[in-house]
Amino acid sequence: MSGATLPVVLPLRRQDRVSTVRYFLRKNPRMLVGVVLLTILLFVAAFAPLIAPYDPIKVNIVDQLQPPSFGHLLGTDDLGRDVFSRVLWGSRVSLSVGLISVSIGFLVGVSVGLLAGYLGGTFDLLAMRVIDALLAFPALVLAIAITAALGPQIQNAMIAIGVVAVPGYARLTRGQVLSVRSREFIVAARTVGVPPLRIVLRHIFPNIANPLVVQATLATAFAILAEAALSFLGLGPQPPYPSWGQDINYSQRYLANMKWWMSAGPGIAIFIAVFTFNFLGDALRDALDPRLRRSG
Amino acid sequence: MARTISHAIAILAALAIVLGACTGTSGGPSGSAGAKAVYGGSVTFAMNSDISNMDPMLSGLFVDRHLMYAMYDSLVRVTPKGEIIPWLSALPTVSADGKAYTFKLRTDVKYHDGTAFDADSVKWNLDRYRQTKESLRLGELAPIDSVTVVDPSTVRVDLKTPFAPFLSVLVDRSGMMLSRKTVEAGGADFTRKAFKAGSGPFILTEAVKDDHYTFQKNPDWWQKAANGDKLPYLDTVIIKPITDGDVRLTNVRTGQVQATNAVTGKDVPTVKTDSTLVYQEIAGIGYNSLVPNRAPTFLFNEARYIKAVSLAMDRAELLAKGPAQGVGVVAYGPIAPSHFAYDPSFKPFEKPDVAAAKKLVADVGKGPLKFELLVSSGDAATLQLAQLLQSQLAKADITMDIKTLLFNEIVTLQQQHKHPGMTLIGWSGRIDPDGNVYDFNYTGRPNNDSAYSNKDVDSLLDQTRTATDQAKRKELFQKAQQTFVVDDPSRIFYSFQAAQLLTAKAVQGFEVYPDQLPRFQTVWVQK
Amino acid sequence: MTTYILRRLLLMIPVALLVTVGIFVIIRIAPGDPVLTYSGENPDPVTIAAVRAELGLDQPLPVQYAAWLSRAVQGDLGRSFQTHQRVLEAIIERLPVTLELGLAAILISVSVALVIGTISAIKRNSVLDLLTTSVTLAGVSFPNFYLGLLLILLFAYVVPGHLLPPGGWTPFSTDAGDNLRRLVLPAITVATASLAVNLRQVRSSLLDVFGQDYVRTARAKGLRERAVVTRHALKNALIPVVTIIGIQIGAIIEGAIITETIFFIPGIGRLAVQAIPSQDYPIVQGVVLVSALSFMLSTLAVDVLYAFLDPRISFGGAES
Repeated sequence: MSGATLPVVLPLRRQDRVSTVRYFLRKNPRMLVGVVLLTILLFVAAFAPLIAPYDPIKVNIVDQLQPPSFGHLLGTDDLGRDVFSRVLWGSRVSLSVGLISVSIGFLVGVSVGLLAGYLGGTFDLLAMRVIDALLAFPALVLAIAITAALGPQIQNAMIAIGVVAVPGYARLTRGQVLSVRSREFIVAARTVGVPPLRIVLRHIFPNIANPLVVQATLATAFAILAEAALSFLGLGPQPPYPSWGQDINYSQRYLANMKWWMSAGPGIAIFIAVFTFNFLGDALRDALDPRLRRSG
Repeated sequence: MARTISHAIAILAALAIVLGACTGTSGGPSGSAGAKAVYGGSVTFAMNSDISNMDPMLSGLFVDRHLMYAMYDSLVRVTPKGEIIPWLSALPTVSADGKAYTFKLRTDVKYHDGTAFDADSVKWNLDRYRQTKESLRLGELAPIDSVTVVDPSTVRVDLKTPFAPFLSVLVDRSGMMLSRKTVEAGGADFTRKAFKAGSGPFILTEAVKDDHYTFQKNPDWWQKAANGDKLPYLDTVIIKPITDGDVRLTNVRTGQVQATNAVTGKDVPTVKTDSTLVYQEIAGIGYNSLVPNRAPTFLFNEARYIKAVSLAMDRAELLAKGPAQGVGVVAYGPIAPSHFAYDPSFKPFEKPDVAAAKKLVADVGKGPLKFELLVSSGDAATLQLAQLLQSQLAKADITMDIKTLLFNEIVTLQQQHKHPGMTLIGWSGRIDPDGNVYDFNYTGRPNNDSAYSNKDVDSLLDQTRTATDQAKRKELFQKAQQTFVVDDPSRIFYSFQAAQLLTAKAVQGFEVYPDQLPRFQTVWVQK
Repeated sequence: MTTYILRRLLLMIPVALLVTVGIFVIIRIAPGDPVLTYSGENPDPVTIAAVRAELGLDQPLPVQYAAWLSRAVQGDLGRSFQTHQRVLEAIIERLPVTLELGLAAILISVSVALVIGTISAIKRNSVLDLLTTSVTLAGVSFPNFYLGLLLILLFAYVVPGHLLPPGGWTPFSTDAGDNLRRLVLPAITVATASLAVNLRQVRSSLLDVFGQDYVRTARAKGLRERAVVTRHALKNALIPVVTIIGIQIGAIIEGAIITETIFFIPGIGRLAVQAIPSQDYPIVQGVVLVSALSFMLSTLAVDVLYAFLDPRISFGGAES
């Protein structure tokens, strides 16, 4: 990371930007696939109420534990609810938790990293100790403890996952800032007297944006998994609202009775969502990191 | 593909049921009455969670008692029918005023560490349970005024006031006798390494937390079987905590475990048709209830709201389609089928009555009924029950929101009577109906989770404690039950837990008790 | 070098303190009174007060923390609220189990990554390369708790013969064979999570190294490809792999937590997961302290190892 050549980003004219994007996508077919997957995911989450064939919450106890059939593509759960509909609706929870918790971590972590890297000195020393402390916690234990402390609700899971993600961003940002700080144009700007905040926002930040974007995408994948894990442990959204991890938790006791469909639906859904973000992040990393481009 | 597999499994299951109906057994103690018991062998038993304590003084968990019944003896014990029988002591003589109990002790009993069991030991044990600051038996033994050694084999216990259920309290932990020498030598670690402290049929030889507890036969145990055989038969008993129901069942089916008392509802049909296993089930003394917060200024201070929920609820459906899947018995009140005070004709809310529920809510006149049910987060089975209940109440326009919280928080909110809605509480049950009724419905008692207060009930319950005639006590209990279940509800009861026992075919002489606890002294293994 | 190590060790102290304060505060914020849970089924106010005093929870918070800290530095981490067992004893009992699971997982993950990564690097950009990268990406995207459940379903219930048990544990010293049998599925579950990262690391380091002069020289000299790879490339590519293993230790604890819960393995992870909701404060504080210390120590060990392996690296400057 230190010593790498980072592209300096210059503002582009509008038509240049569009053709650049198209060119960019054409040159990176994997990016295209990733973007398409992401769009489908967002579409499902946004329009779940319209796409889902049944009400995901209405209890229909007579139909409990039915295997998959034409009427119910993924069967029914132990309260007679359509698993497929619950999976579609569950995407809203997982995606929103994933995106919001990553945003929290991003905002806090990047700010801390920027300040620590730019200001240096005592602030840097203190801030990095706190970051080290956060890192030394086993992440899942920390997330569980925070969620337990604040209450097993979905907002608190978001906060917990966000907090856990902060050190990663902070360190990454700080490292990038340190390597860019001594570059000529930054030194020039400082000498001329540009206020530090401006330097940070207008000059430093755009140059370190690329690895951060990659990190954010991959972190969303992690966040979705983390939300599922927390829900699985019982620290997620309130029933009867569908959530992938929670539905796996509720139905795992039926696996031994060979009633696999209740957990298969949410399990595969988590996989698709996480895979999308991982795939996209990977493709972004390959496209944006010049070093890999050279050897890849 | 999935359809084919499901169909195949369904056909196989149907076949199994048909075949099983011819060979499976259920009900009655395992083994044929005529077979001759064989000495030796080992049985591994799986319980559904790990213990917290081996010291009866500090024990708070139901599972602790599994081990205690194997290694400790109590002053008296109980039969599967609920009758109290002599054990370390003969049944006591009670003074006319009901305040003095005189116990004549057995003289042939020795603790596993060699020390003798005598009146001094009884006094030391009882005083320890009722006077040590952190003892969890303080409440149960509060009625005791003093314990006196009359002679080496006689002890007299004087109560402050007559207390009819006193003897039943001495059946369990409060009456368990331990060797003073071993307890004092163990210090703070005794509670996890209670080797050789008891006088029971088995001696604890190994304790590995979360894994297994091993017991060896006590060759000097004093009890004999009905036919004169010296007990126990088994050489070794191993008790394993296995929390997951599926893992537990698999262990039984693969033979790594030969007996268990916790079979999940959904697995019961499978075990009933398995010819290598024997499944027994009777109504237990534990119950499940829905508990409102009746403290003043809270929603459920209004009794009609509670009745409305009780009327709208379909208890039969909860039992049949909920997590119990039919295992257990519907309950309307806390007095269990095996209690002497049970009234089988007491069925106040047999069928759900949506119209009556709606009318009651309308009568109160404050709009539709809406409240919160607090459920322990992550508990899949209870959450299924809660959601089923939610849909039942919705039919009567009653909105019940489910709120998941951590278990500890729920316990705290209940104790402080500060939550706005209801919680789900189960009670493992006691032999005497008093243990299922008094502390839960009497004004100001610590287990009165609903902050219920009714002077008539208080007076009736006090009388049940002083009355000596069982028929009179039964009448009083039923009168009280009518009030705190129907007229002015303290909480809503909906099912009695089942006492289960699943054993491998070769295991004989294992009886199922309403308190769900295993007694190993009569068990033997067919070779 | 020694100054560097000393400095790192010194810096660990404030970080460890921050960690202990952090967890101390967080677990006490959780609503709910643990005393009520540990007072038995039918507690009256006298018992509750006595239990509260016995657990030390009637003191003000700073006093509680100071008391805990002063005992902790002497090696006494207190006793569990639930079982009254010494916390240190409980941790020592369970740590080897988690370590065994972690070790097995690292072994599986690294060896598979080495094999596949090497092949991928050699046959760069071929169909095989693309396939393996996609498959490992898929593996890492699969929720590992669900993978664990599926493995249990498959090998304990579906595949006839009950090949592998659905959980539970036998210590190695009691029955080595049974212990290894029970290790297989959980180790695979934990390994899959880190597989992709290891694979990518092996692949890209090898690719880097392939471009180096000394490899080109070896090839020019006419050495067979296999010799080139094993004798020169792999050795140097291992350096970043060592770093990765260091980071894995943190990831292993993560994976272990959920895997231990699913497979009912009596390790540290499961201890923590159970202790947090049940508010067994001494256990939670003890476990977090121990794992934080081990994480920091292992990171330090890896950094030192890194320096030994690569003579080009020297310490004494700013941290990364």
